[in-house]
Order: sequence, then structure tokens, then C-alpha cells
Amino acid sequence: MIPLDRYPKEITLRDDARVILRPMLPEDTDALWSFLRQLPEIDKSHFHEDVDRREVVERWATSLNYDAVLPILAIRGDRVVGTVTLYRNRTGWKQRVGIVRILISPDHRHLGLGTAMIREVRHLGEKVALNYLLAEVIEEQQSAVRALERMGFEKAGVYRNFVNDREGHLHNLVVLLHPMSGLEK
Amino acid sequence: MNCPTCGADHISPPGRGRATLAFGKSCPYQGVPYTGLRAGHDQIYFGRWRRMDATSIDLRRGYHQLERLLRDIAVALETEDIPAARLDLGKAFEALHASGPGEEDPQVLRNLDHALSYAHRVIGDLLHEKGLPPHSPADFAEWFDAGEVPFREDW
Repeated sequence: MIPLDRYPKEITLRDDARVILRPMLPEDTDALWSFLRQLPEIDKSHFHEDVDRREVVERWATSLNYDAVLPILAIRGDRVVGTVTLYRNRTGWKQRVGIVRILISPDHRHLGLGTAMIREVRHLGEKVALNYLLAEVIEEQQSAVRALERMGFEKAGVYRNFVNDREGHLHNLVVLLHPMSGLEK
Repeated sequence: MNCPTCGADHISPPGRGRATLAFGKSCPYQGVPYTGLRAGHDQIYFGRWRRMDATSIDLRRGYHQLERLLRDIAVALETEDIPAARLDLGKAFEALHASGPGEEDPQVLRNLDHALSYAHRVIGDLLHEKGLPPHSPADFAEWFDAGEVPFREDW
């Protein structure tokens, strides 16, 4: 079980805005859908499904399983302004590897929210005894790459022309790994 | 002379200082959480040991200041449940102790830089646990005799 007693957690951004961090709940469908729709296309490239369709987000909301997929939302007022999601396999050879996806609303970038989300997921990763966090970022998203590196992620590789966006254009994929303390024990 | 509030050797107006504060306040760190850790960090961050003309004495001083800062951070972490920060603090000590205080190899500079980066990340973790934004030395640069402020970018 992931310990979630730290939520809801209030944080202050660089512009003094207060944001609440907490796990996604079924009633967050509309707020999350609105958030996803206003993201730049490149930020939505990694999704397997068309997140502009409400029923996709609705299905996520009704099938929440925090042990496998833990979405933490950053909420300002009644608006979702960022998400960090920790994906885990409970069995198999990657059960000690957590996959991290972070999305930040364009009007909330460069305020420290992305860094705060990385801190959250590092904390959660330690609490569930992961050996590694893994983040995949399109190379154009340099702010995200730098923020991840500053927080201890290390570039494990860059795959040239490896992923395509929703219009079929190819992009380089940067894979970053964060070794966790479990590795040292 | 070290500031009686934060312990750092920052510029204090009036006189040589360029910076000014509200009347009656003489330390920019006054009232901020983790005053000592933040001021201690910035004193090292803007320290002479990072200058081109740094002497071996500057380097040695930087080393000992950093060692003290890491010890102070360790004390602050004792009462907090932040495993990622403990890991980083361990790496900070490891980087620092990879060189001795008297060594003058360029690698010493790199080790001190790495240790200071880890320390900054731990201070950020402590602040995050209190729901506060991370510490940015650039916000306090004018209180130090700093030639230039490194580029700041946050996500």
C-alpha cells in the first residue's frame, strides 16, 4: 500500500499561489479533462488514448487503483494545474521501477510546481521501496529535462527519432533514471 | 562580521551594503524558515572559494563551512521523515569527503560543488515538507559580494 496520509498537502508556489496536492478522485473527471485539453499537443503525445475525449478521462476516474497508477493532482481553486503520476508493476521484473509522468499547465510553469511534483514522486518512490524512478521526456521539453536532472534524475539514454506525436512527427526521447535509496541497502 | 540573526557573513546596510531592507530589519533571512540553513548555504554559494582568484585558504574555508552546513542539515532532518533527502545528504557528505580540506586539485572544486548542490536539494525538500517554495540563492544575491548571479530557471 502507498502511504497517502500526507495528503491533502498545501504548497506555495513562487508567485505565492497556494496549490493543494492530493490523489485523484472519481469526482475530478471534469477538472482533469479541462486540464488535459488545454495542454500543448506535444505534452499529450505519450498518452495511448485520445485524452481530449471526456469518456477516456471518465474511465480513468472510475477505475482508480492507486497501487498500480497513482495520479497526484495539483489543484488551485477548482482548477487542476498539474499532475504527477506514478505507475508501478506489482509483479515481474520491473516491480521495483516506478514510471513517472509529470504534466504542468502552461500558465503554471516556471513557478516551481514541476519541481514540487518531482519532490512528491521521489518521496512516494522511497516510501514504496522502489529502486528506480524512470521518466521519459521528449527532448524538446528541455525545462522538464533540466528540472528532473536537478532533482537527481540522470540521463540514461536518448533515442533518436524514437517517438511520434499525434501528427506523426518524430521526436527524440530522453530516458532519465533516478536511483533510490533501496539500491544502496 | 557575521550576522547575529542568520550567522552568515552577508553585507549589512548601511555602509558597504548595496541592498536595503525595511526599517529595523538588518538581515534578509530574518523570519524565513530554516534561516540558518539558507543563509549558510548562500554564504558558501557566493563564497570566495568559487572565484577565479580563490586562494587555498578560501578553498579550505569553503570546505569547513560546507561541512558545518551538512551537519546542521543532518540535525534538521532528524525529526523529518524525508527518505529522499536523507539519501541526498549522504551523497553530499560523500562528495565532500571525496577530497580533503587541504587539497588543491581542481577535482576538489567539483566535489565541493556537488556537495553544495545536494545540500541545496535537501534544503528544498525540508521547505517542500512545510509547503514552501524552494530556496533560491538568487533572491539573496545582492546581500553578498557576488560578481554575478547564476542563471535561474525553475519548472
